[in-house]
Amino acid sequence: MGLTRSAIEAMAPDQSALKAAAELLKPAKWPVRARSGGLIWGECQGSGANPYRVIADTDEHGSKCTCPSRKFPCKHAIALMWLFVDDSATFGDAEIPVWVSDWMGRRRKGAPPPASGASSEAKSLGDARAARPETPPDPKAEARKQAAADKRAQDTRRSVRGATEDLDGWISDQLRTGLSGYLNEANKRCRRIAARLVDAKAGALASRIDEMPSRLLALPGEERIDGAIAEFGKLALLTRAWRAAPDDPELRREVIGAETREDVLANPDAPRLASLWEVLGERVLTRRDGLISQATWLMNLAMGPQRFAVLLDFFPASTGRRSGAFVPGERFPAELAFYPASLPLRAVIARRDESIDAPDAWPLAAADPLGDVAEQALTVPWRIETPLLLPAGRICAEPPGRTWWRSNDGILVPLRGTLPDLALGASLVHAAGLWDGARLALIAACTNWGRLGFDA
Amino acid sequence: MHELESALARIRSAWMAGRSALEHCPAQWREAVAAQHGEAALAALTGHATSVLFRTAPSRQLEPRPLLPELALPIIPETLRPRLRRILAAQKGATSIERQLIDLVAARRYCLHPADWMPSPRDDWAPDLYAPWLDWVRTETRADAEHSALTVESYENWPWAARRLALAHLRIADPAAALAIIAAKAATEPAERRVRLLEILEAGLSEMDAAFLESLAKDRSEHVQTIARAYLARLGRGADPGDLAAELAGMVELGKVGLINRRTRLVIKALKTSAQKARRDELFRIVSLAALARALGAAETRLMEAPPEGPPEAIEAFAQMVATTGSDAARKALQDRLLEDASCQMSHLRVLAPRLSAEERRSLTAPVLARDSDDLDTTLCIAGRELGALPLSVLLAAPIYKSLKQLVENVLGGPDARRTHDNTLLGATLNRIALLLDAPGAADLAARVVSWGLAAADPKLDLLHLNAALKTETIP
Repeated sequence: MGLTRSAIEAMAPDQSALKAAAELLKPAKWPVRARSGGLIWGECQGSGANPYRVIADTDEHGSKCTCPSRKFPCKHAIALMWLFVDDSATFGDAEIPVWVSDWMGRRRKGAPPPASGASSEAKSLGDARAARPETPPDPKAEARKQAAADKRAQDTRRSVRGATEDLDGWISDQLRTGLSGYLNEANKRCRRIAARLVDAKAGALASRIDEMPSRLLALPGEERIDGAIAEFGKLALLTRAWRAAPDDPELRREVIGAETREDVLANPDAPRLASLWEVLGERVLTRRDGLISQATWLMNLAMGPQRFAVLLDFFPASTGRRSGAFVPGERFPAELAFYPASLPLRAVIARRDESIDAPDAWPLAAADPLGDVAEQALTVPWRIETPLLLPAGRICAEPPGRTWWRSNDGILVPLRGTLPDLALGASLVHAAGLWDGARLALIAACTNWGRLGFDA
Repeated sequence: MHELESALARIRSAWMAGRSALEHCPAQWREAVAAQHGEAALAALTGHATSVLFRTAPSRQLEPRPLLPELALPIIPETLRPRLRRILAAQKGATSIERQLIDLVAARRYCLHPADWMPSPRDDWAPDLYAPWLDWVRTETRADAEHSALTVESYENWPWAARRLALAHLRIADPAAALAIIAAKAATEPAERRVRLLEILEAGLSEMDAAFLESLAKDRSEHVQTIARAYLARLGRGADPGDLAAELAGMVELGKVGLINRRTRLVIKALKTSAQKARRDELFRIVSLAALARALGAAETRLMEAPPEGPPEAIEAFAQMVATTGSDAARKALQDRLLEDASCQMSHLRVLAPRLSAEERRSLTAPVLARDSDDLDTTLCIAGRELGALPLSVLLAAPIYKSLKQLVENVLGGPDARRTHDNTLLGATLNRIALLLDAPGAADLAARVVSWGLAAADPKLDLLHLNAALKTETIP
């Protein structure tokens, strides 16, 4: 049973899904499209920082996408099938990648599933593709909209200001009443103040505080007091900085909420960098608010001051386990647009080419990887994690269970997390990790045994 | 700096105890914390100062461990590693084929990448090529081991896994030299390792080993004593439990089979009660084959002129006795009889498998497969480490091939209620077959299964694809 336009129309949940899919038919949105037998797959740059991975079976009409949509098939799957039906020659034959095989292994074969919430309305690919008639702009309506937005922004600023002052008071109370007591009740106490911040529209700050207990409890017992002081200190610096410059986009992002991907791409002040990037690794965290955060760390392989970037996405835990958008070690030319910041780090992909087998070496690292950290901490003192590049060294174990990175010159950096045995027996030519002020969590390393990744 | 450090410590203590820390604030910070919410401001300064001005240090001088050594065989090709990792990740529980997978890779003359798999300290089963890694994970690496030959004097300079491997090779090249080292050094090893040293003597076991084996009769470890007694029994020596042998002889009899070529057959009598059966099984464990043969007034090999007759569990117990205490000739004779007689259960061969040489394993795999049940347990047991060498023609003639085709049909179109079970069974069956086939056979079978309807990308075919792609590495 091959794939046809009428089959796609039949399986689409509704006409709006087809319309949404029509928006995704531009080839530029699909840096990867391939096939093997009846299977087709692709990567689609959606609204998230990481591209969505989409698979479809042209024989059995099953499909899978990593986007959080509850519609089945989603607009990305529909668009992929639509592109295939329109011009299958654009899907080159390729070896089936690991993420496609994984889906094959989990899939139950049988009759194709019915389209979710299939509506009785007529569904047509042709209609979906038809251009919408343009409505002429209404200056008065635009002005009203702008005034309302300005008022909303003012109200938000006022309520957030009050909430940050409450937060400073809360921090002082926790310190004065004893950090041991705080650590015993961190979940409950943080929840309460986070709720106050949510009410005041300081959503980003609320999420940061909500996640604080899990960050602290992940530390060894003897480090939690210092960890709590560091966290409170960063919060105090952040709230003060915001009150001094509430319109600063970086501070707004840290306190209220981040811009959308479209905002960043449309922002002329968002720095852009086209370079060759390597995927260092991924960190996936389940948050207390029911969202999963997926952070993909990239490293710029060319010379230049912008060494790292992080693609950050959030999706509901209910959408299930999502495979990574990239393979660690993968290299691709891309233009990234960075969220404006004093030390830009978070980015979105503006344009990406296919991955290549580039033999470029990792950039050179400074002899003391922590040498720059003090400078960075003055510029962005509230940052939770700072990516670092390490020069050649070895990993040493200190009983009972602590590990250290040691440079060939004897500089020592304490490490976080459990490391595989191989890490202790390998010679690290380069390494990259995330410094949290107390310890470094390794992400990847180039070793005498080749590339090594470190799971969180 | 020292003053600041002291101040930070006092601030920290105050907050731990639940007191204001403002009185401990360093003078240069007083202005900054004077405003409202001074404790929060003090936390900002304290946290920042701690993270940028001070670095933690280990409690003592740290030295890295020796580098993980490279192995004698090349690492599996990079392109095959993702598939291998996927197969390894899928292994769990009773159906795990992790060990056999590692053996298959070794049989093709490759080793695994240490990022994909490394032995744990207890993995004595790992193929010999991983001995250097075993010593490394046990932190027993010694720098000077490679430069000296293994002798009684240099014994302590060798790490355990490398030492055991060297002894095993020496036992083949110079059995007396190996015996001399083992006899001199076994007592210095803990029981678990004494057992492993003793097992080395199984290769080329002969009269010259008898004196040392007899000295182990009073070893502190019962396991060591048991093995020593078994080896002595194979040599026709050892304590003769005459009355026990007579008791066991009373539970069997010697019959005759064949019209023209009359052969002796051991018949194990049926017993009525479970207590009697338990006693019989215990006697088979304690009494040696030589002692039983003497009690029956016959030579060991005469008992093997025809396949034994009796209840299956009794034949199993007898086979175990032969495996443990029978001479090489007796063991081989029983093995041949079990194979020749189509009515004999193949599973009885399993207890004999530990004594098979690599050559015997290679030659027996095909005939065993031809009669094995669908789970292929016996075939894999007989094959041991001699994996990945069976041509497809052998599989096509075996009953498992028809079962495999039926399983694929069930998975693709059978009743829904059974599909999950059949799918799991199909995966396990394909894995087991993939371990046995040679590379062309694996490729051919994968193509056949795809032609029956299974998707080419189905992970159940992963091991067949891996096998097909893993061409034997030729080391010059």
